[in-house]
Amino acid sequence: MANMNLYSRGDRMFVWLNMFLIGVFALSTLYPFIYIAAISLSTGFEARAGNVVLTPVELTFAAYKYILVEPAFWRSYLNTFIYTIGGTLMSLAFIIPGAYALSRPQLYGRRFWNLMVAFTMWFNAGLIPFFLNFRDLGLLDSYFGIIIGFAVNGFNVILMRNFFEGIPQSFEEAARMDGANDFQVLWKVYVPLAKPAIATVALFCIVSRWNGFFWAMVLLQDQDKVPLQVFLRHTIAKLSDDQEFSDTLFTQAYSAETVTAAIIVCSIIPVLLVYPFLQKYFNKGILLGGVKE
Amino acid sequence: MTVENVDKPVETSSFAQPTRVQRIVDHLKREWQIYAMLIPLVIWLLLFLYKPMYGLQIAFKDYSIFRGITASPWIGFEHFHTLFGSEQFVRALRNTFIISFYTLVFGFPMPILLALMFNEVLNQWFRKSTQTIVYLPHFISSVIIAGIVITAFSPSAGIVNTVLGWFGADPIYFLTKPEWFRPIFIGTGIWQEAGFQSIVYLAAIAGVSPTLYESAVVDGASRWQMMWKITIPSILPTILIMLIIRIGNLLEVSFEMIILLYQPATYETADVVNTFIYRQGLQSGQYDFAAAAGLFNAVIAFILVMGANSISKRYSRTSLW
Amino acid sequence: MAGVKLESIVKRYGAVQVVHGINLDVDEKEFVVLVGPSGCGKSTTLRMIAGLEEISDGQLTIDTRVMNRVAPKDRDVAMVFQNYALYPHLNVADNIAFGLRIRKESKDKIAASIKEVSGILGLTDYLDRRPADLSGGQRQRVAMGRAIVRDPKVFLFDEPLSNLDAKLRTQMRAEIKRLHKRLGATSIYVTHDQVEAMTLADRIVVMNDGRIEQLGTPMELFLNPANTFVASFLGSPPMNLVKATLGPGENGPTAHFAGQSMPLAPLDALQNRDGDEVIVGIRPEYVDVATAEDATQVQVNLELVETLGSEALLHATLAGDPFVIKAETQGNAAYLQKVTGFTIKPEMLRVFDAATGHAVPGQDRQAA
Ligand SMILES: Nc1ncnc2c1ncn2[C@@H]1O[C@H](COP(=O)(O)OP(=O)(O)OP(=O)(O)O)[C@@H](O)[C@H]1O
Ligand SMILES: [Mg+2]
Repeated sequence: MANMNLYSRGDRMFVWLNMFLIGVFALSTLYPFIYIAAISLSTGFEARAGNVVLTPVELTFAAYKYILVEPAFWRSYLNTFIYTIGGTLMSLAFIIPGAYALSRPQLYGRRFWNLMVAFTMWFNAGLIPFFLNFRDLGLLDSYFGIIIGFAVNGFNVILMRNFFEGIPQSFEEAARMDGANDFQVLWKVYVPLAKPAIATVALFCIVSRWNGFFWAMVLLQDQDKVPLQVFLRHTIAKLSDDQEFSDTLFTQAYSAETVTAAIIVCSIIPVLLVYPFLQKYFNKGILLGGVKE
Repeated sequence: MTVENVDKPVETSSFAQPTRVQRIVDHLKREWQIYAMLIPLVIWLLLFLYKPMYGLQIAFKDYSIFRGITASPWIGFEHFHTLFGSEQFVRALRNTFIISFYTLVFGFPMPILLALMFNEVLNQWFRKSTQTIVYLPHFISSVIIAGIVITAFSPSAGIVNTVLGWFGADPIYFLTKPEWFRPIFIGTGIWQEAGFQSIVYLAAIAGVSPTLYESAVVDGASRWQMMWKITIPSILPTILIMLIIRIGNLLEVSFEMIILLYQPATYETADVVNTFIYRQGLQSGQYDFAAAAGLFNAVIAFILVMGANSISKRYSRTSLW
Repeated sequence: MAGVKLESIVKRYGAVQVVHGINLDVDEKEFVVLVGPSGCGKSTTLRMIAGLEEISDGQLTIDTRVMNRVAPKDRDVAMVFQNYALYPHLNVADNIAFGLRIRKESKDKIAASIKEVSGILGLTDYLDRRPADLSGGQRQRVAMGRAIVRDPKVFLFDEPLSNLDAKLRTQMRAEIKRLHKRLGATSIYVTHDQVEAMTLADRIVVMNDGRIEQLGTPMELFLNPANTFVASFLGSPPMNLVKATLGPGENGPTAHFAGQSMPLAPLDALQNRDGDEVIVGIRPEYVDVATAEDATQVQVNLELVETLGSEALLHATLAGDPFVIKAETQGNAAYLQKVTGFTIKPEMLRVFDAATGHAVPGQDRQAA
């Protein structure tokens, strides 16, 4: 499918139509972000009046000033970093050795252990038992609870295991003949060879940790421990029916809308920064790796 | 030396062999590290996923925090009777199926369409940049997406009402109107996920042999014909598998997003089983009753998933996991 | 250095037995080649020696120590794998040093070993390269280096050359031979290529279906195959096997087939057995070709002459079965087109019992 010059008239029309439709879809994907950015940079009055469409009206950084001096915002930002980094490392610490063991033919009961992982993807006890269990374990309202409680996910284990299974067994055997024990085989041979899969799993973990909201909301009461997403939610909910904001509308340069938009922008920026790296991995269709046994 | 002819079969020997127990001990001595690697994972699974399954028994109990799960008295199917007598639960169940169904009907074809369209784009730069854009919302948290939706649909400031205003329409308070909830929720879902889901189909299209297209070109087929005669039939197995997966996960409505978007005024059309469980259990503390609803949900989901898996195994010889 | 002793070694996978009791005594410094068709259990046997597969029955001794229950790393053996199993993320030097580092050798010793081994194998210029950036032959050498550097008691090779093209294979074969001469290490080498077996081995073990068919020096096996399996397996092209019936002849026992006859050596075991079925083995190299003008013993129908240069392969049929002759061309291939038969000395034939396939006793020739 190389050269459009070789296409017939009808084919060229078809291609242009496709590009047009894709362009429309892409713009409609992009637009809400631009819109939010524009609102965050407009005055509260203009935003409230519905005058912001594409670009900031009466450019101001008031909403950012309002949010950036808020200690709770920074606190939750820091918390999100703690949960994301701690949680991802914890996930890898469970998943890499576990998946390696599951991939070894010499493991007794291998089918059983694999089934034990797969079953959790087909059946889960649901919100209530999970919550009660968390409470019974004394993990409510703790950093450690959030970090360990969501460390493992069957899909990631199986993705990792499949990758290990695809590495020829002779690497393990060669390393064994060289005198390596299982930990050394894993650490010095299989982990370096599994870098793409580890990166993929790590990215899955990072994304889900960064965006994680529901359980953080349910399991954390202490506002000093909540992550950004929960802070965001509280703030959005609070602002939308806060009398103070309506009253100050004409004296302040910000409003509920502009502050909400500013928080949204602040929390998207890190995602946009790592997004190019994500792209590289997801484009390769690695995501398909977990979809077969 | 002389030539030995060692052709006689030797089936057993007189050498003492380790007993079964000794072999197991040898195995553990040699391979204990493998088990040491597995144990944390297994303990985690037991502690965080299997122990709650044991806790599911409260669905059949009169659970009290003070007595704990095991000591609470059994009451049989009482919670289930209450459940099916509850108008709210039946409504939630109906909403779950309706929302899932519409999500499937409108959401499923979209990524396929996108993939087919991407496939026709020759300009690599255009294709790469549009793909980059449409994958993006997948990586944005539901809180942010909900925040955007709330802002965009807000009655005074929202762009949607602004645009409606240009046409002289009165502002609509979208998020408080039950009839608008489902279109907004499902539309948001498509907007967020369709691009990313197209990756699967793009991968399938990339796997189609180029010689098929080349011979079609020689036969004078148009791009439109090639799409219908080559591309679509080639990715049909992938489409079927994805369809089966989606049907298997039919009950998995993204309730997180619903929690973020609904309000009492829209419960009528928005409340699904999981949001029902969340309110009854986690917000009102009726753990046993909510667990019963959860168990019902989990069992139906399990049946759907297993059914889907066995169907896909039969027809494509690839299982989903 | 040390010998390896296999006594009644058996391997079972569940209920299926794939190695049926192997007895083999490999002497110190000996180079033994296991050869046999695909699936006959060569790799399995080798891997049991390495400790990568559990031994189901029998006893394995290396040096003087019984190794059945010893972990691979404590057996002091090194193995070269068919796919080399070079660590792709490590450069050549680190690949070679991997085993030494695991065993916590001192830095100086490791550096010295890398230098020595890379010198021996001609890898000095490639030490910084990753395996992906090496040619097939160089990879093969790194794999050898990784084994050599550990200075093990025993070297094990599992088809180490089968991933190379024909030319490189010949070259590396010579190199392995040279290395073995230099290091004098006990080696067990698996291949299904009988040329490799013939050229490398001090002794060859021919395996079939989980059993040893025959064991001996290359010349012994070539001259005196114990049965038709070995006869048809070794030699290229392999020995021709002609079904015949014993009958009377002028000079003692004679083989009759398809209206022709061939005198056999006057072996005791062939006396008074007229009417018995035998199989006569005829090495393609041992026949003297004849044309219609010459006196011929046995007529064949020549179908095709493949000229290889100094030699030619004559593809013919004898009693309907394919029959191959290897003849010198002596610059006159046209002559070979006219071949109608051959003569052969009775003592160059090898006679097998048709019922058992075993060689008839008493006809062994002395290897020079
Ligand atoms: N894990 C296993 N389970 C069951 N049977 C096995 C297993 N591994 C090998 N076998 C069987 O054991 C027999 C011997 O296998 P082995 O790999 O030793 O053959 P080989 O002589 O090395 O052949 P090749 O020349 O093809 O490498 C084969 O029939 C094979 O199918
Ligand atoms: Mg083999």
